[in-house]
Amino acid sequence: MNDPVLFPIGLSLQVATLALAAVVVPGVALAWLQARRRYPGWSLVEGLILLPMVLPPSVIGYFLVVGLGRNGALGRLLEDTLGLRLIFTPAAAVLASCVVALPMLVKTLQPALAQVPRELEAAGRTLGLGPLALFFRVTLPVAWRGLVAALVLAFARALGEFGATLMFAGNIPGRTNTMPLEIFSAYQAGDDGRALLYVVTLTVASLAVALLASVLSGYRERR
Amino acid sequence: MSEALALEADFRVSVGARSSPFEVTAKLSLDRGVLAVFGPSGSGKSLTLQVIAGLLRPQSGRIRVGGEPLSDSEAKLQVPPHRRRVGYVPQHHALFPFCSVWRNVAFGLPRGERRPDHPVVAGLLHELGLEHLTHAMPERLSGGERQRVALARALAVRPRLLLLDEPFNSIDLAGRRELWGVLRATLARHQTPAVFVTHDPLEAAALAERVVLFERGRSTRSGGPELLEPALELVRGPPQSSGIDTHGS
Repeated sequence: MNDPVLFPIGLSLQVATLALAAVVVPGVALAWLQARRRYPGWSLVEGLILLPMVLPPSVIGYFLVVGLGRNGALGRLLEDTLGLRLIFTPAAAVLASCVVALPMLVKTLQPALAQVPRELEAAGRTLGLGPLALFFRVTLPVAWRGLVAALVLAFARALGEFGATLMFAGNIPGRTNTMPLEIFSAYQAGDDGRALLYVVTLTVASLAVALLASVLSGYRERR
Repeated sequence: MSEALALEADFRVSVGARSSPFEVTAKLSLDRGVLAVFGPSGSGKSLTLQVIAGLLRPQSGRIRVGGEPLSDSEAKLQVPPHRRRVGYVPQHHALFPFCSVWRNVAFGLPRGERRPDHPVVAGLLHELGLEHLTHAMPERLSGGERQRVALARALAVRPRLLLLDEPFNSIDLAGRRELWGVLRATLARHQTPAVFVTHDPLEAAALAERVVLFERGRSTRSGGPELLEPALELVRGPPQSSGIDTHGS
């Protein structure tokens, strides 16, 4: 994928897919925890999950740079111990996407999990299902539409990440220029045709995702 | 007779907001056969079943099933519901909507035994007259059919004790009488002791050998079916009256 026009499309898909893969397990676990348990600090966790959705992307980017950049505490630790430098790499773009995809996944899945009738889970437990089997054999089969909606919305959110990516991963052609960044670059360079290609691609993808998610959540309500 | 009792329970449980908790104090025992937990709505009967099933943790007290301690606040013992081998049929049957009838019945069996033609599954479907519905989905079943599927599902894992919460609530009177017979015969055939919750004295009298009365969050008396007499007289009072009069009391 060395074509400079196609590169941002391929990169964006890879970044969003990896981000989704990284957040799916912690996201589902977090959604389950918030939907099913009340514990001291529940509200705080709820607020922290929401935070990336309300923070300006540049602030998220700033935190990532400060924490994981070359001079950040974690960033230096990674570089010293593992020889890993995240900033201005495609991995940084993945991380920036993770930060915004996780709350989207959790917040979409959480109500779906909360709606699973307790009686069904009670029946499953007394039939001998341990916590994990119960989740996979009872909870998820009831809430699967919510899970699919959460996954596609989180993917779309990861695909569209711009601000934090720009600050943390940079906008390096052929390396970290995802589609949203490339739209910005092309527009600034006056290359409206190239900008339009990515605009159309992202619009079509987002529209498909939004439609799928609304169809799935509509199902849930009708039932 | 040193044989272990099917159930011995003596506990206190409290649910709801800390400022206005609902407290239930229950004491019940059953050597074998069927025990009716009888009382008006909101007297703590359902919570009692949930505690015995292990779905709620009691604040204090002890529960033994077949002689085995399942909950003991002093010993800090609380066996989770999936290890209790105590069957539980919740009030609205709670059939898995994404599973056909046979899959519901086979749900609690080990993976290899989850087949419609497995002897346990096929046997229960036959016994409860559900064969023609083997592949039907729960949404298409009548109330009585759902009840039978829920019963078959609970019995398939061979529980040591079966708990039924208002099992006939959503069923019309004629169907109810027929199902009483089905339940009695099935429990007897499987030699499964059972505890069921009801607010209908006729139902309690028709099914139970032992009765425990519940009132405002407490088990007040336990004994034989004669305990139901006052309630039965109220129901029988005007001729032709039926058990549904007590509904929602």
